[in-house]
Amino acid sequence: MKQIPHESASKHVSGEAVYIDDIPVSDQLLIGRVVYSPHAHAKIKSFDLNESRKSEGVHAVLFYKDIPGHNQMGPVVDDELCLAIDEVTFVGQAMFLIAAETESQVRTAEKLIKVEYELLDPILTIEQAIEKNNLLGPPRTMQRGDANEALSSAPHVIKGEIRTGAQEHWYLESQISLCIPGEHNEMNVYSGTQNPTETQILVAKVLGVPFNEVVVEIRRMGGAFGGKETQANHIACWSALLAQATKRPVKIRLFRDDDMIMTGKRHRFLTRYEVGFDDNGKLLALKLELNSDGGAATDLSFAIIERAMLHTDNAYFVPNMSVLARVWKTNLPSNTAFRGFGGPQGMAAIESIIDRIARYLKKDTLDVRYTNFYGIETNNVTHYGQKIENNRLFVIYDQLMKSSEYYKRRSEVNKFNATHEFIKKGLACTPVKFGISFTTTYLNQAGALVNVYTDGTILVNHGGTEMGQGLHTKIQQIAAAEFGVSLERVKVDSTNTSKIPNTSATAASSGTDLNGAAVKNAIDILKFRIAEEMAKVFSEKNPSNPTIQNLIQFQKDNVIDSANPERNMKFDEVINLMRLRQIGLSSTGYYRTPEIGWDKQKGWGKPFYYYSFGMCVSEILLDILTGRHTILRVDILHDAGKSLNPLIDRGQIEGGFVQGVGWCTTEEIKWDDKGRLMTHSPDTYKIPTVQDIPKDFRVEFLQDYPNPIAIRQSKTVAEPPFMYGLSTWLAIKDAVSATKNHKIEPEFSLPATNEVILLAIERLKQ
Amino acid sequence: MQTTISFVLDGKIVALDFNSGSQLTPTTTVLNYLRSLPNHKGAKEGCAEGDCSACTVVLGELAAESKIYYRSVDSCLLFLPMLHGKQLITVENLQNKKGQLHYVQSAMVEAGGSQCGFCTPGIVMSLFSLYKNHNMPTREQINDAITGNLCRCTGYKPIVEAAAQACVYDGIDHFTDDELATVEFLKSISHDSIHIRTKDQEYFRPHNLNEALSLKSKYPNAIVISGSTDVALRVTKGHEVLPQLIDLSGVDELQSIQETADTLTLGAGMILSDVHQAVKNNYPALYAILSVFGSQQIRNVATLGGNLGTASPISDTLPVLMAYNATIILQSIKAKREISLDEFILGYRKTARKLDELITAVRLLQSQNGAIIKSYKISKRKDLDISSVSAGFRLEFNDNKTVKDIKLIYGGMADRTKRATNTEQFLLGKLWKREIVEEARLFINNDFIPISDARGSAEFRTTAAKNLLLKFWSETV
Repeated sequence: MKQIPHESASKHVSGEAVYIDDIPVSDQLLIGRVVYSPHAHAKIKSFDLNESRKSEGVHAVLFYKDIPGHNQMGPVVDDELCLAIDEVTFVGQAMFLIAAETESQVRTAEKLIKVEYELLDPILTIEQAIEKNNLLGPPRTMQRGDANEALSSAPHVIKGEIRTGAQEHWYLESQISLCIPGEHNEMNVYSGTQNPTETQILVAKVLGVPFNEVVVEIRRMGGAFGGKETQANHIACWSALLAQATKRPVKIRLFRDDDMIMTGKRHRFLTRYEVGFDDNGKLLALKLELNSDGGAATDLSFAIIERAMLHTDNAYFVPNMSVLARVWKTNLPSNTAFRGFGGPQGMAAIESIIDRIARYLKKDTLDVRYTNFYGIETNNVTHYGQKIENNRLFVIYDQLMKSSEYYKRRSEVNKFNATHEFIKKGLACTPVKFGISFTTTYLNQAGALVNVYTDGTILVNHGGTEMGQGLHTKIQQIAAAEFGVSLERVKVDSTNTSKIPNTSATAASSGTDLNGAAVKNAIDILKFRIAEEMAKVFSEKNPSNPTIQNLIQFQKDNVIDSANPERNMKFDEVINLMRLRQIGLSSTGYYRTPEIGWDKQKGWGKPFYYYSFGMCVSEILLDILTGRHTILRVDILHDAGKSLNPLIDRGQIEGGFVQGVGWCTTEEIKWDDKGRLMTHSPDTYKIPTVQDIPKDFRVEFLQDYPNPIAIRQSKTVAEPPFMYGLSTWLAIKDAVSATKNHKIEPEFSLPATNEVILLAIERLKQ
Repeated sequence: MQTTISFVLDGKIVALDFNSGSQLTPTTTVLNYLRSLPNHKGAKEGCAEGDCSACTVVLGELAAESKIYYRSVDSCLLFLPMLHGKQLITVENLQNKKGQLHYVQSAMVEAGGSQCGFCTPGIVMSLFSLYKNHNMPTREQINDAITGNLCRCTGYKPIVEAAAQACVYDGIDHFTDDELATVEFLKSISHDSIHIRTKDQEYFRPHNLNEALSLKSKYPNAIVISGSTDVALRVTKGHEVLPQLIDLSGVDELQSIQETADTLTLGAGMILSDVHQAVKNNYPALYAILSVFGSQQIRNVATLGGNLGTASPISDTLPVLMAYNATIILQSIKAKREISLDEFILGYRKTARKLDELITAVRLLQSQNGAIIKSYKISKRKDLDISSVSAGFRLEFNDNKTVKDIKLIYGGMADRTKRATNTEQFLLGKLWKREIVEEARLFINNDFIPISDARGSAEFRTTAAKNLLLKFWSETV
């Protein structure tokens, strides 16, 4: 398909695009504020809300007993209180809610709340949680073959550990919800949520009203990246409670620092491994122990660590593998979904291991990677039993080696490093194989509602949410292509639970695949009805040679009998005629992903509908005295099937890579010894700027490899490019390692901040 | 004395009166003002601290020859009275009367420069400022224009492409057509002093130095601002009500630059963007540090005097200015004095400035006696970040290549910008060679006991400080 800009691009650049904070609201609007715990772990001994309630402009101050419904807002497990009762378990936990007429009034009222605490010892690291055996739930395991036995007979065995850091989503638009009460129990919720149905359910539950009283709507989010998959629910619940209590519209927009303090991050991981391999670096056995920091509640932690387990192989065949995964409970905000959803943490482990094996064997890392790629005919089943169909690793490898001149540049880098003491270059290539589907299989379903109006315009509703990824643009393209009409006829509406019920989150890179297919289904139904009727219309004038319904085509804004092309009618005229002939011009559509099935208990089956593939080569320059790196050049070759929209897909690849680089380099989250977030604003939390992107940034699509099984032969882009950032991380490690001529394994963690880099170099000297 | 402020918005003069029971205060930010209007919701709040620039707007200012000079600024850090006498341009103003997108807007659409769109209005305004100031900009100029604008979706590449594609029409657009009318509007706005008094606040905006000094003498505890990039945080993040402010941004004398055969005197009210250009040729180490100072939006309002006045222990400019042996001029209504920066800094955010004094200028010598001067900044992210460690080094040799004079000034290593005196002593008189410098590095341990915080551990800071000495050496041989 064509290079079509984002459907809202003109509105974005003109400032006309309406985000929730821009929605005009009556002067009845109240400002809501969440009063949260300043302590990581404490008993609430007493509190006094009286002064606060009397404060000027205040309409409500609520505590847990004011919740009419269920005081819970966990998405999977009921272990997340909407408002704290007698104990707080992390800094940022909601305790009270205030609604007042102005921003300064809520702040004044907040200061008047008095709380007495009894401080308890917090658990703030994975190590502390392990020591106290503070598990968030039962451990998970996955295995194939006998890793122990294979390790005992392997020619080489290495043990080690790798740490990957937390990451803040830093969506530009912080969490927000505007609730407008209707009559009786009705609540209209505008929520910056990736998961409107779940928001609807949780709001209804805290309000104690039936689900059909709550409507959740979202036009667009200013970025989400997983951070609004579950945790947007909270803000919606809080503002709904205040709106219900005051019977006035209430908006809660989290101030940036509050957002960073209160909401969860990408899970930190501490991964321990034992790997066995032969002289060529061929993997024989791998034992992994994944430990993630779940924070204070379950949220999606088990699905996330499951995806980490499912990606510890990345692109490599490991004949004997066992993975033990444990989620630890700490006194930090509950960690949550973030682009890649555990995949990056799993891949960081295996990529780090392969990197180390190569250094150990004095081989180039890419040679070791190649040696271990999943095969086409053999060695093509993952450690969880899924056969890898349509393996694109080799074709991508061949093309990228040529275009990036990896091996030529490898020798140039070596030469450069031999002649420079204070600056070093590093080079690394890492592959990505990412499984596409929710691993909670039932979530792989979607709904749509397509209305056609008598002027020939089309309104498409579907269950997916727009957060910048271009979903609505692709849906618009799909609808136009399926109807054979121009793009201008199609409008994609806000996501609304009263139009499309019971949806899944827009997550797991599945937005287009699922919703696009549901929209197609709705359009197929409409086209069938229209074709059936139009066959009659065309045949009425040609009784001797009637039009056959199946030969009616929708193309170029026309409906045409392909066998008798002179029988045709403009699309808008057809639609008008259909109304006159009493044909329904609205249809729902539905889709569920076929063929997949996954036994979570056994850790065996086919969790993914297909895999996304790609590879990335990074070359960096490192100042070894300051730890400053510059990304000199990046080459990415990505498999997007038959790309639905190369402009949007390229944006996803480039943006995903840069976000991944942020996780791998400058984005460092620190808590102090009381569990307070030290990096709670962009002043100290550093996402990449324009100056941090590669000097030479080359992104190409794999051409002529359509995806046979997804909508219009496309593949999703979304999450996978995030993990290309690992090549930059390993290129930096390569440069650090070059300071000792690759003879010693550097101690290295992720993110590789200038601090990590400098101290790693210092330790190499000793 | 005026009690209202006036500026140009949407092609007309807007006058705001703070004294008539409005919700607006003299410390209401321009962002919050805009977002309270029905038709200016394009500017977004991403952080309220000048670190993301989603709120970028452009200010048109009357320059010489009846021209208008366009600068991008963070509206979240700008107090309303700072708009006085200026043209405020928001994203809503960029389309022409026919409703066509501006070049920078259409280029952004075509390049795929927006995804979620939330940072986009700010980015568009930065590109508009670029468009007006640089025809066919270099990659460096493009980067510099948008360094302050955080985008979490795109990876920036399409935005850079859009900039290159759009900025090729000599800065001509519908603002050019309207410029004469705008100039007339701006000229019609009185430049008299402003005094705003509300229930909780008093705000002075003097229009000459004498008046500023009298106010400072009369209200010694008043908070002095000019660009307010630091003080505004007390409002936007600390939610303080600042009782008394003296805004120096209307004082022309403080914005002047004086050059003699021996000295270059930079007015304390000069914005850092102008300082940056003024020192480009003769003070490369200062130029280099200003190149990585904040963002263009910050440098377009932040002043040299303001930066020095905060006496931050992690200041970027102090170490390098000290390395240049710069002096600072302090003035009260009664007296004027000039002291070295070493004398000026007394402790943690403590200076020798008396309560009734204002910083009026910084003076640099034209000649550095052949000294080698370098500046360094180590920060987690190269740009738009606060230093973990910063440094300004000065080195003079004797004829025999021994060290005649050395100043090693560090930021981020102590409660103030501080010299590594033990290390300096060790190096004095010694040959400037690798082994000696390696040995000198160890003395850094005696000079500093840094703290661990969000920007780095003590171990990291010490290692970095030592390494900078070696880096300095490597750049002098």
